[in-house]
Amino acid sequence: MLNYFKELFNFRQMLVSIVRRDLRSRYKGSFLGFLWTFINPLLQLLVYSIVFPYLLRIEQENYAMFLFVALLPWIFFTTSVQGATTSIVGGANLVKKVYFPRLILPISVVGTNLMNYIYGLVITFAALLLTGVHLTFNVLWLPVVLLIEFIFILGLSVILSALYVKFRDLEHIVGVVTFVWFYLTPIVFPITIFPERIASIISLNPMVPIINSFRNVLLNGVQPDWSALLYSLLIGIVLLIVGIFIFRKSEKTFAEDL
Amino acid sequence: MSDQTVISIKNVSKTFKIYRDKPLTMKEKLLKLRSNEYSNFYALNNVSLDIKKGETVGLIGHNGCGKSTLLKLITKILYPDTGEIEVNGRISSLIELGAGFHPDFTGRENIYINASISGLSRKEIDGKLDEIIRFSELGDFIENPVRTYSSGMYMRLAFSVAINVNPEILLIDEILSVGDANFQKKCFDKIEGFKNSGATIVIVAHDLGTIEKISDKVVWLSEGSIVEQGEPDRVVNLYTQHMNKKFVEQRQQEYLEDVNNKPPVESVNETELSELPEQQEEIPQFSDESRWGSKEVIITEARILNSQGENTNVISAGQSMVIEIDYKVLHSQKEYIFGIGFYTADKMLVYGNNTQIGKLKLQSIKDTGTVKFKVNQCNLLTGSYKLNVAIVNGEHLALDFIKYYMDFTVVSNDKAVGVLSIDHSWDIG
Repeated sequence: MLNYFKELFNFRQMLVSIVRRDLRSRYKGSFLGFLWTFINPLLQLLVYSIVFPYLLRIEQENYAMFLFVALLPWIFFTTSVQGATTSIVGGANLVKKVYFPRLILPISVVGTNLMNYIYGLVITFAALLLTGVHLTFNVLWLPVVLLIEFIFILGLSVILSALYVKFRDLEHIVGVVTFVWFYLTPIVFPITIFPERIASIISLNPMVPIINSFRNVLLNGVQPDWSALLYSLLIGIVLLIVGIFIFRKSEKTFAEDL
Repeated sequence: MSDQTVISIKNVSKTFKIYRDKPLTMKEKLLKLRSNEYSNFYALNNVSLDIKKGETVGLIGHNGCGKSTLLKLITKILYPDTGEIEVNGRISSLIELGAGFHPDFTGRENIYINASISGLSRKEIDGKLDEIIRFSELGDFIENPVRTYSSGMYMRLAFSVAINVNPEILLIDEILSVGDANFQKKCFDKIEGFKNSGATIVIVAHDLGTIEKISDKVVWLSEGSIVEQGEPDRVVNLYTQHMNKKFVEQRQQEYLEDVNNKPPVESVNETELSELPEQQEEIPQFSDESRWGSKEVIITEARILNSQGENTNVISAGQSMVIEIDYKVLHSQKEYIFGIGFYTADKMLVYGNNTQIGKLKLQSIKDTGTVKFKVNQCNLLTGSYKLNVAIVNGEHLALDFIKYYMDFTVVSNDKAVGVLSIDHSWDIG
């Protein structure tokens, strides 16, 4: 087991190379190039901040930022999970012909999307300042919150990427589930719009404390709700351990199953 | 060379499941829309092999014998069903060149991606970068996107990265056909350099000459098992002999099937038909350029028989063979001369002989009969040849002369070049 992680560590440059390649190749050849990393969330922000307050009449102070600080971590979550699910199959060319720790593939997808989120923070901070949000020192908790989200996403990604090799329905199932999941997470609306009883059920969703924490540190200038966040972290760690277990069990036949 | 074993393969077996139609989605699994039936393919069957540090081992065998599977098991792309494989040392495989290359990135950027997939750290790559670029002979092209490269340049870059990783164990699979002759020589020199610096090399190639030249030991695999291993020349010779034998048997099989399936011979022209109604099916048809003569005596059929006495068009060198000519006399002559000739595929005469040279004066022969030219030992080298058969009269005027009656193939274990095996030995004074 120790050797397994040692080898993974030895291949860290591969992870870096692949993340860089994917980040740079995504917009290579397009006119606006890397700017698309910013344009996509900006457009989403624009659409959501028109649709929800004006059409659905949600009463929320600074709704655009309320949405934005939650939307970016959510995009990080869905694009990672969806991308990682197909990562082994998508990397079939490499898997069938070259040896490397297979875990690199799902990790690199999550890593690429993490970098995209971090670039998105440039816009987030600019927009926060422009809209007059008062930043406090609690912003410094952001890396911790991000790390917890990263662990949770990674755990899920590792499991799904391994299972998808044998079970190709998963891609569509993941699509449907994340779509529903979006509305079970307080992203476009505060959790307070749910009745008490439903709200407590929804709080079991480990993405709820994570999204709330992003709002707390970036928008409300307070500390995260640590006990709730700890719950997400625990789930994340359990998923990651289970994920690595499943992954190790199935990775030996990846080259044959593809 | 030390006795330390770097690759230890113990009783390894590997089976692949060949699904007729694999169910992949839930619907298919539940409704059994696709059958889950599969058959097992035994790619490797209880193979044990120790490869020592500094050894160069060549794997040979026909397609599907398990060579590539064995290499993939050594690199841990595949895992064995049973048995154990232990590898000590960094492996670089020249199995897949250019893994992870991105067409839009420059050669230099791709070096980083490609080398990192072999597990190199950034610092190690930095250190080897200049050598990789120099070796690839790409010069300033290294700053251009890889998509602008010719396929030769692409392979040169990929090969350059793979070979400059400085592995302790190098696995090579059928890729020494990279680039031009010059570059190939460089690659061989580099591989030679590896050998001398004590690296272990496992190589798969169909070019037996290459294998024999660079290996210390050759392993012959067939149907997933090791048939023979040991000194390169001995194993390669055994293998070529086996392959030659198989080739001859297979060709023989095809030839017999071909003959049996042949539709009845095409009709002959009118005049001949009236003259020999009962014989018409047996006369081979040839155009005027390849068959001429007065036809007072005709060749009704000719054939080559192998050492088993079977009709054939393929001969193993060193074995006996018989060429038979069936004839029919329509108008008797004062004298008959039967002849045969062998030509190369490009129509150069290799050998010719006739009954007159053989001091036979044939003045009266049966009306129909068969003349046999018996060869105790066919000394032709590997190649494709053409057979001439002819009957002429005492004045050497053609009665029936058939040029290139049929093609036949000779398979020889003699690696000499040319057309003939000559019994010889060297004596260096």
